[in-house]
Amino acid sequence: MRPFLQGSIFLFRKLIRYSCSFGIIVLLVFLLPRMMPGDPVANLVGEDIYLTDETKETLRAALGLDSPLHEQFVLYSIHLLHLDLGYSYHMHGAVSDILADRAGWTLLYIGISIIIGTCTGIYLGARAGFEHETWWSSLISSLALIISSTPPYLLSLIAMVIFVYHLGWFPFKGFYDTFHILSIIHHLTLPVLILSVFYAARNVLIMRGTVLSEKIQLYPLFARSLGIPERRILIRHIRKNAIIPLIALIALDFGFLFSGALFIEIVFSLNGMGSLMYDAILNRDYPVLTGTFLVIAIFVICANFIADILSLALDPRTRSHP
Amino acid sequence: MIPGLSNLNFRRHGYVPLLCIIVLTLLLIIALFPEQIAPYAQNKRFLPYMDPDNAHLLGTDDMGYDILTLLVYATRISLTIGFFAGGLSLLIGTATGILSGYLRGWVDDMIMGITDITLIIPKIPAIILIAAYVRPGIWILILVLGLLSWETTARVVRAKTMQISNAGFIMSARCLGFPSRSIIIQEIIPVIYPVILPKFMLTIAGAMISEASLSFLGLSDPMMESWGKMISDAFTHGGFIREMWWWFLPPTLCICISVLAVTRLGMMYETDEQEIVSE
Amino acid sequence: MIIMKSFSKKRWTLVILTVAILACCCLPVMAEEKTLRIATTNEVKSPAFIGDYTLGLFNHISNPPLMQMNDKGELIGLLADRYEVSQDNTEWTFIIKGNQFWSDGTPVTADDVAYSIQMYGTSVPNAGWIGETLTDTQVDGDKVTFRFNKPYTNIALEFTSYSILPKHIWESIENPNEYTSTGPYVGAGPFYIDNVDLNSGKVIFRQNPGWKGKTPAYDTVEISWFKNEDAAAKALESGIMDTYWKYAASYPYAAIASLQKTGDFEVLEKPTSGMTFLGFNLKKEPMSDIAFRDAISNAINYQELVDISTLGHGKIPEKGFVPPAMDGYVRSTPMEYNPDTARNKLEKAGYIDSDKNGIVEGKDGDDIILNLLIRNSYAREAELVKEYLEKVGIGVEVRSVEDNTWFELKDKLEYDITLTRTTPWGMLMHAGWATGYFDSRRTGQGVLHTVDDEAFLTLCDNILGTTDRTLLTGYAKEVQKYYAENLPGIPLYWKNDITPYNKEITGWYSNPLYGIMNEFTFTGVKPAT
Repeated sequence: MRPFLQGSIFLFRKLIRYSCSFGIIVLLVFLLPRMMPGDPVANLVGEDIYLTDETKETLRAALGLDSPLHEQFVLYSIHLLHLDLGYSYHMHGAVSDILADRAGWTLLYIGISIIIGTCTGIYLGARAGFEHETWWSSLISSLALIISSTPPYLLSLIAMVIFVYHLGWFPFKGFYDTFHILSIIHHLTLPVLILSVFYAARNVLIMRGTVLSEKIQLYPLFARSLGIPERRILIRHIRKNAIIPLIALIALDFGFLFSGALFIEIVFSLNGMGSLMYDAILNRDYPVLTGTFLVIAIFVICANFIADILSLALDPRTRSHP
Repeated sequence: MIPGLSNLNFRRHGYVPLLCIIVLTLLLIIALFPEQIAPYAQNKRFLPYMDPDNAHLLGTDDMGYDILTLLVYATRISLTIGFFAGGLSLLIGTATGILSGYLRGWVDDMIMGITDITLIIPKIPAIILIAAYVRPGIWILILVLGLLSWETTARVVRAKTMQISNAGFIMSARCLGFPSRSIIIQEIIPVIYPVILPKFMLTIAGAMISEASLSFLGLSDPMMESWGKMISDAFTHGGFIREMWWWFLPPTLCICISVLAVTRLGMMYETDEQEIVSE
Repeated sequence: MIIMKSFSKKRWTLVILTVAILACCCLPVMAEEKTLRIATTNEVKSPAFIGDYTLGLFNHISNPPLMQMNDKGELIGLLADRYEVSQDNTEWTFIIKGNQFWSDGTPVTADDVAYSIQMYGTSVPNAGWIGETLTDTQVDGDKVTFRFNKPYTNIALEFTSYSILPKHIWESIENPNEYTSTGPYVGAGPFYIDNVDLNSGKVIFRQNPGWKGKTPAYDTVEISWFKNEDAAAKALESGIMDTYWKYAASYPYAAIASLQKTGDFEVLEKPTSGMTFLGFNLKKEPMSDIAFRDAISNAINYQELVDISTLGHGKIPEKGFVPPAMDGYVRSTPMEYNPDTARNKLEKAGYIDSDKNGIVEGKDGDDIILNLLIRNSYAREAELVKEYLEKVGIGVEVRSVEDNTWFELKDKLEYDITLTRTTPWGMLMHAGWATGYFDSRRTGQGVLHTVDDEAFLTLCDNILGTTDRTLLTGYAKEVQKYYAENLPGIPLYWKNDITPYNKEITGWYSNPLYGIMNEFTFTGVKPAT
């Protein structure tokens, strides 16, 4: 009875905290775009076009920018309750439709990269941490460090020059040439590979650190004294504990899934969420900005929540106590 | 209790830490005395896009500046940005993570709530907003980079702290009446050190790279010549198309070497504390 | 465990083989089609035929506008054969060419033209001026007459940018500006737009079956857009693209050398009227002092700017501001770099460095430190300008902001000097010859609107009110004389636009406004074989 009560109090507290955060975020994602300098109306047309004041007023009214800020906020909240994210005049479509389209592709290439990067990172990091006095452990950590110190677009552009331009193995841009599964795989291989390398590098470093700090604890020593083979100790006992701090980061990776990877998208000309957000920022496209930030915020909050539950489930030591 | 140089055990670690110290000292000297080391004055221009030769070991860039000179003068700025921003981020992240994980309860909820919100604030609009009202400068940049990257450190540290704060040795320390502050410093930090260290390294590298990315997107101070800016200039001004690897690879290597040196030095202290932790 | 492993190995090989065979069978059959591939960095953001800016540039090929520019910059007919203007410049009649058909077989009529122009006026923001000034439209056989409520000399020029749409398709669409579709779109040009694919990043044009003009040598044209210039340049070099086009911009000068090294490409080099200039906030001291601006004009090292910014594909500008690429250009004195003259002029005008700290003081006794506000892309040139000005004793502080922030601060006049550019279209706008950038009555994103001098404004009005060629040439001379004497902006360099193309392909035709994106190119290009 008592653990159940404990568990539900815990969840209830978490729920309150997340709801408060969410409320503040709803306000924040509304205000932040509107606080940026610059005029969304002026961005609806090209640099050389002259808009008369009347046209500007009509457009401003169409975008809903002519009413005072608090009225706009009320309208926005009401739309939100109906799950309506608004209409974007810059992108000529309903925000939800635009998001759904781009989000699908983003999910594909980033999701795969995260999974590959996480699995590789955890495996290599654990081995490197466990056998941290060997030469190849130093090599892997140094390699991971070098990759993490390199700007992402540098690595991507170099990869593009080598594999696309000189070797001709992969295409220059786009999600596909013709809408065909082989074409998609051909086009996405290089971007996914590069992204995975980045995720893996970061995970290797952190996993190695956590495994190291677990290794010096008493229980591995005890297991060893019992005669359990080294590998078993690593996999069965240490890895489970060492992974917990990493779960926080992996959850965040999934949470930020929908923000895309801007630099990969720029280098490989992919039509994903990263470029959508970047264009929206440059054009001051408030509906898209607000809608996108909100969706990402929801995902991050959910991801954090799941991370909390997972670390609770995996390690009893993290459970609350008086 | 901070491990001193007496722990520099050559038999255990080999000569790598010595190498790291030498490299770091070199970088520090270059950062402090660029005028003596650089081959030319900072604003002297030659023919643009020259290949490396005897007069210009790394050639010249699109405006005709000697690249080696740029590299030397950029050391100070990059190292300052990297270490201060990384340090700031680490400080805030560790402090909040430990507080959150150790104290639990509503303190934990509040701090994590703030963390969540800071995490979700989109970085690029925030920077555009700040840049519109504040003149860009190196310290503003450090502040911004530090303040926008501490959340992940906090989360990781909190997770680890929550794991060990129930351990026997902590309990016994509390029973014996040690104040929380000394428990944190003497018991908790050494254990979470191997977890903080990679985060520290990642945040330093991250700060230098974020600065490079901001230059690439045009949001950083264009008058501030750093390694990151050199890399982004190389890309936006034809260095990449002309395959001028001598323009963008040296600054990248410098960033890598700086980060590697600090981290290898830090790795030395990872398992020196052979604390046998009792459950 | 062991048994499962060997079992699945065999299985896997079988699976892979099957997939491979199936894939080969399912791959689309490659037809022997001749495709022209154009690389660009202008992105299509949404499949809105009229609403999307870039698609609106591409659709000039599939839906020809009434007029076009020839390679000399003169206006000639495209969909229209010719036009007539009434005496008072308010009534414009366009006579449509015969024998033109839409891709669905129906003939092009004057009704389509009337409908299109009216639709633009009512539904499209950047054609709002049409809605405000067009009072009446009359169709008579193959003639369309537009009546405006005030004279506007540029009507024919404006009509080079509005694609004509088939009335029978578009009149049922409620909000044409917001209408999106990935195609195909009915067009009357040599090609029609078949597919707009954002995920593969290209627009595919196919030959128009109803086209009665010269048959193009190519079956399809693919315009592919890249999100970064390096990728586009590399794609061109590798040969998978035939040419590179960017609206109002040149192929990056830095990339030309490595392109020519491949030996497969030739370049089309033409002087352009797009240029970079130094603008002044004429409402503040000391920028409002002509002697100050004159002194600055001698402080700038123009030759170095030409060398660095155009890599030799440009020349030192003249005081008249307007480059030779523009119709109506008159030669004036070239800008001169002479720091000593600059310092003398400053002294003579009353700006002296009395405390010998290297910076001259203004009329109020304070050191002159100018706030140079720029968009991020001008950082290199700003560095140079700062150095030049500081050498003659004028302090400069550079503030680099993002594009939208620049628009806002510039409109609020929160700067002393700025660096910005003109585009070919911008040079033609308003009363032409860059007046659109300076006339204080005309605001907009890229313009400075700093001149409210009566003489200048009257000159602009005069130009707007006439279409008489001789009068206009005279006015052009006056405008350039005004620029030379008053220096509202100091031109930094003139440049050439470079269009690279696969040298096996011949028949390229380039006009000052849209480069190779014109009907002559699309019907004239031929692959070598």
